[in-house]
Amino acid sequence: MNGLFQANIADRGILLDPRTKLFALLTIIVFVLGGMGTLAPEWLNVLISITPLVFLCSAKQWGKALGFGAVYAAADLFLIYGVNSVNGAGKYLLIMLCTLIVRILPGMIMGAYLFASTTVSEFIAAMHRMHMPVQLTIPMSVMFRFFPTVLEEFFSINSAMKMRDIRFGGKNADKMIEYRIVPLLICSARIGSELSAAALTRGLSTGTRRTNICRIGFRMPDLIVFAIMLCPYLLLILKKAGAVSW
Amino acid sequence: MVKIENLSFCYPNSEEASLHGIDLEIRPGECVLLCGESGCGKTTVTRLLNGLIPHYYEGTLEGRAEVCGADIRETPPEQLSAKVGSVFQNPRSQFFCVDTTGELAFGCENMELPEDEIRARIAKTVREMQIEALLDRNIFNLSGGEKQKIACAGISAMQPELLVLDEPTSNLDADAIGMLAEILKLWKQSGKTVVIAEHRLGWLSETADRIILLQNGEITAEYGNAEFFSKTDAELNSLGLRGCRAETDWLHGDAGFYPCDPAAPASAEAYRFCDFRFAYQKHRPVLQLDGLEIPKHAVVAVVGHNGAGKTTFSRCLCGLQKHFKGSIRCGDAVYGSKQLRALCYMVMQDVNHQLFTDSVLEEVMLGMHAPDEAAALDILARMDLTAFRDRHPMSLSGGQKQRTAVCSACLSDREILIFDEPTSGLDFRRMQETAALIRELRKDKTIFIVTHDMELIAKCCTHILRLERMPEA
Repeated sequence: MNGLFQANIADRGILLDPRTKLFALLTIIVFVLGGMGTLAPEWLNVLISITPLVFLCSAKQWGKALGFGAVYAAADLFLIYGVNSVNGAGKYLLIMLCTLIVRILPGMIMGAYLFASTTVSEFIAAMHRMHMPVQLTIPMSVMFRFFPTVLEEFFSINSAMKMRDIRFGGKNADKMIEYRIVPLLICSARIGSELSAAALTRGLSTGTRRTNICRIGFRMPDLIVFAIMLCPYLLLILKKAGAVSW
Repeated sequence: MVKIENLSFCYPNSEEASLHGIDLEIRPGECVLLCGESGCGKTTVTRLLNGLIPHYYEGTLEGRAEVCGADIRETPPEQLSAKVGSVFQNPRSQFFCVDTTGELAFGCENMELPEDEIRARIAKTVREMQIEALLDRNIFNLSGGEKQKIACAGISAMQPELLVLDEPTSNLDADAIGMLAEILKLWKQSGKTVVIAEHRLGWLSETADRIILLQNGEITAEYGNAEFFSKTDAELNSLGLRGCRAETDWLHGDAGFYPCDPAAPASAEAYRFCDFRFAYQKHRPVLQLDGLEIPKHAVVAVVGHNGAGKTTFSRCLCGLQKHFKGSIRCGDAVYGSKQLRALCYMVMQDVNHQLFTDSVLEEVMLGMHAPDEAAALDILARMDLTAFRDRHPMSLSGGQKQRTAVCSACLSDREILIFDEPTSGLDFRRMQETAALIRELRKDKTIFIVTHDMELIAKCCTHILRLERMPEA
């Protein structure tokens, strides 16, 4: 099972510093999702939107890359060239849908990639370099570890529900949520408590300055990504200053 | 190394103390085995040794306990961690990292060791335990045995003086237990003190120096190695312990389906497996059971190593596996993947996953086609659950939960029951109860038990289905 939040160590593509990935995510959110993009030229928006595609390809996640690329390209091409070729009520629905895809999808893909390709130690190291307090870093890293576990529990509970024939359209459909949440909460609470006990016996506490053997740092690929992601900010500043216009 | 004097402990919300007036001294380099029935207090003792009691699991503590020269009342577990290493029962919930190498380094990183020292220690541990192949892997993709190895290695790298293991083999197969026994020997050779709480005893016959028997929170007996391991299984059972003789080891026989007792008469009716094959990827078959015939009312032990396809088998049988096209025939009836869901029911290893409602009665009636309270009460009575009919299923004990799940399967007219590791981590008495339950169910059901527990197989199974990893096509 290789889903969200699970670092697949052997095959995760270009080795980027977690901070680079965070910055890329932030930029995509600000300019693509957040609408600052209207202040930058369109080609730049497209460029930062498709950077996650490059990451996916480097991690050999061809299926995801192809799916994302195709959906994004179709939506964007429609918005640029296809708008006038359709008419009627469907037109506005289609425009809305495509706009949503173009704006939201890149951020989601980038976020998923960030989680899937970062190990807990890398994350802690990166937070440490950014001088984040341990009181914030430790709970966040526990979350990293906790999600895949809860996901495993969730799949087991799902199987159990199928066996009992509890499903949408079945006779107990109204209680679907309750039936799922109660065992999930109980199992998660137990696992959480066992996890904390195990972490304590291995010396995790907020009082110490941990060392970290994980070597993170900026290399060539990081610089390239940073260079690309800095462009929209620069252009924005230049435009505000009146130095350029388009 | 450890000095416990007249110590009593009581968990909050519990009427009875878990430990009464325990006196225990453990010398450096000793390997001590704590055994006894579930609830006898052996886990509580391990929690005292790593400081989780009284700092994480709070309660009323009386008496004195000293571990590695530190009073446990004044020393929280994170301070003890450099001297006391702990391995727990559940391999799923003792990892902090998602990748193996990070996990090996985790404890050392918390000790604020310099980076080079940590790398050197990891390299040494990896060499000693021969786990080169496990480095840089995703922990979620490892088997239970491999996870337990990583847990031991992570502790080993911290170089503690005392190692505390709480039922480390509950979820492991015979081979994985063998690997763990090797690790234990390694620790003993290097002079570490080891304390293990365990139900399974056989694998410790070479390493345990002293065996301490706990009953109802008191130490009732103490044995030397020779004295303890020369006992017969019947003697051990009378103490409430699992046997430790070499049992018939079904794990190393031939793959295939055969009766435990070739002379036993077979039932005339049978379930016939048709197209019963499955592969996650092309050319890599996992299951190939075409034409298998399981007599009705058989109790089939499904055995095999980790990764042999036992889980896939039970998922296919329950109709849970996507893209599975096989079917089961019985007489004229044909059960395809969808219908299998109405024919088979799995009692999962973690029963908590399949109890949904807020009372036992409601729970067992949930799957009934036409609610029939009389029938439900009848089966609750048969399973000794009448007194708990209005209790929340989650508040029951493990065995009661298991029986509740069985009741709901019976009431929804399932003919085939699958038990996934029903006795992992159970003591002798509870294992016997489960075996008795299965023998009782056999009268009107056909049962599959996925298990590593040879004692359980000896007590209730009529047939063995041994799965083995299939060669690549």
